[in-house]
Amino acid sequence: MSTVRTEQQQQEPLDLIRFQLDEFVLVKLRGAREMKGRLQGYDSHCNMVLSEAQEFIYSEGDEEPTVKKTEMVFVRGDSVILISPIAE
Amino acid sequence: MSEAEIESSKTNPSTFLSDIIGSSVTVKLHNGVEYSGNLQSIDGYMNIVLDEGKEVVGNTISRTYGDVFIRGNNVLYISEA
Repeated sequence: MSTVRTEQQQQEPLDLIRFQLDEFVLVKLRGAREMKGRLQGYDSHCNMVLSEAQEFIYSEGDEEPTVKKTEMVFVRGDSVILISPIAE
Repeated sequence: MSEAEIESSKTNPSTFLSDIIGSSVTVKLHNGVEYSGNLQSIDGYMNIVLDEGKEVVGNTISRTYGDVFIRGNNVLYISEA
């Protein structure tokens, strides 16, 4: 069966992440956490290394999240929900 | 290809997914949050990239993303909107 492939189809989702290398990204994690930082590296599991990172922990009742700053952090891929570029 | 085979290819899940690339979709995750946007790309893990993604919690749009990558393991369903 021949399938017509458009340019969009040839591009795969992890390409979006590749374009974000060395840029700031927002990573939404399980457990009401978010991580913002500069993307140093990633792999197909979405394991990631972020530099200049800030972790935002949202707890029920509190409007403002707890913020933790880290120079360099490894995030294990299995807790990742989504990744999005941060518009600068 | 017999007619039966053509018929089955129409309802094949991966055929459906490649057919809806470029169209507007709603993606629901296991945590109950929905994302709607234009489906830019999808792979075998159901990793998804949406553009103009809107995050819908309950009935309210809580956030918008220019581009958003959703890790496949969180996906409950993908529907053409």
